[in-house]
Amino acid sequence: MGLIQRAIELEGIPTIGISIVREYTEEAAPPRSIHLKWPFGHPLGEPFNRDQHHAVLARAFEALYGLIEPGRIVDIPFRWRKETYPEFGETM
Amino acid sequence: MNLTRLKNRAIARAITRFPQLAGLFIKAGKNGTEERSPDIPWTPVSKPLSECTVALVTTGGIHHRGQEPFDMDDPDGDPSFRVLDSCTPREDLTVTHDYYDHSDADRDINIVYPVERLKELEAAGVIGRVSDVHLGFMGHITGPHVRTLTEWTAPEAAGLLRDAGADVALLVPG
Repeated sequence: MGLIQRAIELEGIPTIGISIVREYTEEAAPPRSIHLKWPFGHPLGEPFNRDQHHAVLARAFEALYGLIEPGRIVDIPFRWRKETYPEFGETM
Repeated sequence: MNLTRLKNRAIARAITRFPQLAGLFIKAGKNGTEERSPDIPWTPVSKPLSECTVALVTTGGIHHRGQEPFDMDDPDGDPSFRVLDSCTPREDLTVTHDYYDHSDADRDINIVYPVERLKELEAAGVIGRVSDVHLGFMGHITGPHVRTLTEWTAPEAAGLLRDAGADVALLVPG
């Protein structure tokens, strides 16, 4: 995924990636990433957990605007199935 | 379905249930390092999020039902991509990917392709608008297909996003 991200950034479009496997992201070296220590197949979280999905998106967009050094990976400390997320509307 | 595909699916289910097993496969699945460049591309964000058109790029094997499924018989994966239309109803999307357990994504596609969440952010005025065009890749690209991806299909896909007027791309894995 990181290689695709690099190609898009090279085309002049700023990118932010969600990483589940930190090793892959470190190796591919995309411009900006957030990393969640969550199971494969669940980058936004659990099915139908809308508030959780929005919390992840909020962190992704924060990183998109906050990171200024290429290649940084922001570790998001959300624990799998052990967090309470704010209702959508309060996250941004 | 052949034995290899059945085996890949069994491994994917096991890794999702027991994430500590993933480490056994991460090293084995690594891409070659020759593609890595010390120069990381960088495009600064030039306008506020509330004015940006946001596009999604998924590597979760997502495509429209009418499109050709990703090739699951090639052990190096399928470096092609599918153009996804944000207006398509959720029922028209499907997942072809044996290398992760997508049974939860089959129930709610937003966990790998959060297009409905982006529409909510557009309605709330957080983002400018959701791009009409998104892109579906399958990930799990190894061997000679890494070069196909980096030299051909990924640049072509990036050009499509630019032509569609995307200001920002969010990349989501499977």
